[in-house]
Amino acid sequence: MHRFNIDFMGNRRIMFGISAVLIIVAVAALGLRGLKFGVEFTGGTVINVVNARTVTIEQMRKALADSGIQNAQLQEGTVNNVRGFIVRTEVTDPKLANADATKVAAATKLPEGDFQVTTIGPGWGKNVTNKALLALAVSLFAILLYVSLRFEYKMSVTAIIAIVHDILITLGIYALVGWEISPNVIAALLTIVGYSLYDTIVVFHRIKENSQGLVKQSFMSMANESINEVLVRSLNTTASSLMPVIVLLFFGGATLKDFALALTIGLAVGAYSSIGVAAPLYAIWKEREPKYAALAKKFAKAS
Amino acid sequence: MDPKQRNYLLLALCAILVIGSWVLFVPPNKKITQGLDIQGGLSVILTAQPRPGQALTTADMDRAELIVRNRVDKLGASETSIQRQGSDSILVQIPGIKNAEEALKVIGSTGQLEFVEVASITDTAAVAALSRGEDGVTLKPGTYKPFMTGEVVKSASVSQNPTTGQIEVNIVMNTAGSKIWADATTRMAPISKGGKSPTGELVAIVLDGVVKSAPVVNEPITGGQTAISGKFTAEDAKNLKTVLETGALPVSLEPVDTRVVGPTLGQDSLRQGVIAALVGLALVAVYLIAFYRGLGAVSVVSLLVFASMFLGLLAGLSAFGLFALSLPGIAGIVLTIGLAADSSILINERVREEVGLGKTYRSAAASGTRHAIGTSIDADLVTFVSALALFALAIGPVRGFALTLMLGILCDLLMMLLFKRPAVMLLAENIIPKAPVLWGVPKEVAKTVPATAKKGGGRRA
Repeated sequence: MHRFNIDFMGNRRIMFGISAVLIIVAVAALGLRGLKFGVEFTGGTVINVVNARTVTIEQMRKALADSGIQNAQLQEGTVNNVRGFIVRTEVTDPKLANADATKVAAATKLPEGDFQVTTIGPGWGKNVTNKALLALAVSLFAILLYVSLRFEYKMSVTAIIAIVHDILITLGIYALVGWEISPNVIAALLTIVGYSLYDTIVVFHRIKENSQGLVKQSFMSMANESINEVLVRSLNTTASSLMPVIVLLFFGGATLKDFALALTIGLAVGAYSSIGVAAPLYAIWKEREPKYAALAKKFAKAS
Repeated sequence: MDPKQRNYLLLALCAILVIGSWVLFVPPNKKITQGLDIQGGLSVILTAQPRPGQALTTADMDRAELIVRNRVDKLGASETSIQRQGSDSILVQIPGIKNAEEALKVIGSTGQLEFVEVASITDTAAVAALSRGEDGVTLKPGTYKPFMTGEVVKSASVSQNPTTGQIEVNIVMNTAGSKIWADATTRMAPISKGGKSPTGELVAIVLDGVVKSAPVVNEPITGGQTAISGKFTAEDAKNLKTVLETGALPVSLEPVDTRVVGPTLGQDSLRQGVIAALVGLALVAVYLIAFYRGLGAVSVVSLLVFASMFLGLLAGLSAFGLFALSLPGIAGIVLTIGLAADSSILINERVREEVGLGKTYRSAAASGTRHAIGTSIDADLVTFVSALALFALAIGPVRGFALTLMLGILCDLLMMLLFKRPAVMLLAENIIPKAPVLWGVPKEVAKTVPATAKKGGGRRA
């Protein structure tokens, strides 16, 4: 009941094909449509009105104009069945932004407690972006180092390829759908790095264990068996990690949704890439080693 | 020690930790500090701007922090938090503030260091307080007029008087300042030294309207070099030096990330986050029991152990002011539920697999848990590494997420070593063999398992 025998390695070209198509689409989307960055990266102000009560979007628009707020983008949205507004302006002075919010609250007679004002100064966004990229680079490097020391460099290189695969596809979906990139999404991406790696390490752990004193079969078929052995665990883990995240997606409120969305995509892609990308690439690379090349030759006819 | 005894000991230790955690975190809404985005208020990150052509130094940041503290104290808000972030930023959090605009005006203004003749202050209550030697007296605008501002200060230092052994704060002023200072101190000095006052008047050193020090003028100071002595501790002296330096080297602070959250809003988000965490936990529990039956139930208990230790840790850190739960932090917690479930799944799978290989329950439990924990530790460590990179390097709200993720990983490791492994091993001794199917071992596999051997016999199987 819990034993699988799926020929992942035999079908690796199909999996590589799927990944290649996904990556091409993602890169094209990133190149053509680009990413939409949130106010934290661009500078400016976002005023969230959580509960619109009886105020219509026209009344809101009029309130904004009457309060003398220039170049405001007004958007209506629903969170947990409560209608609200999101107002974006180019104001980078928090005093002005909060004065604006106070005026709008007075004009619409909405309580100020329902307002959330975020103002990001110019130049800060660049700082945030650079720091996030630095964090990503440092964590990738640390991972590379850890896996190389603990296991071997071939594992760390293929694990990193799988990670880049996951990040590209997740970002591609964001570009394609036009979702906004917030710092939360960046955090989620880093978590995906961790998770995808976690999955990959579990598979590699088993391959390493099974490769000791390997004589009775080729590396490739041993790797395939290893994947099958940990498959139930992979599926169960992905399911049990996805469950809370998906719940967050539905019940989490606006702030937590950013995380949940990126995580949902990333977890699914990450689980796939451990089996579909990292393990086959690693096995192909290992079969080039003389020891395993000989084994592959010996068992080539048998299978 | 006998493995059985060791396992009982570990479980006892785990029970103590769980009970301790409950004591720490109940009730969670009181014991775990809530971040600004949850309790509502003003949160602002200020960055210090370096002077043209110069890099920002630690001393600059010390001054910037002092200026900010001084101003935030003046707002009179309680439970404010001021933290350094990165090399050039300060995070200020003021919970439950009513007038964000006014607060921002106070925090954002340029630091103003002034020297005031106490006798010239029109607010008699403030003068009385200063004469009594009270600390941190606030002067109302319009009640005082400085005779000199802080730009004249060239440098300030702390030294110990070689003859008296007292700690002194030394000020060096520029030429223009020295002249004004000489006139003023001559006027304020005791009659015996040529002044007007019988014993010497007080001169107040005022930063942003708050009196930081009000020494007595003992004699006219004409050389531009001043020493302030008194009952200073080394700490006081250093603070006063920093105050004086704000005049010489002003630091301007720019608000770069300002968030004003209404109090109702944050509570709504918290409720949603808690609901998400509970529903997530419940779904995972149902799934684990459906899939692994008895072992699944042990996994659910281990999730509860994990959750208890996690909440206890958060409450403990909150008590020391080291933690405040933010919304991204909640997302980190939800994520670690998945991690903890995974560790359990790894153990369950591995143990079942080893049972399937024909080992006894007892040896399968021992070697299965050991192997699975080895895998988990590796996987946990790499996730920890990326969370650490995020925590150390990122700025802003994301750090809260990285922190809960790291703490969650620690609790996950504790849970596996102190609860899951000993529990599974002890159950495998007598309880699992009696009804293997109830514990998630497939019927056809259960038939092939060798009977539990007496005292070590099965271990060589």
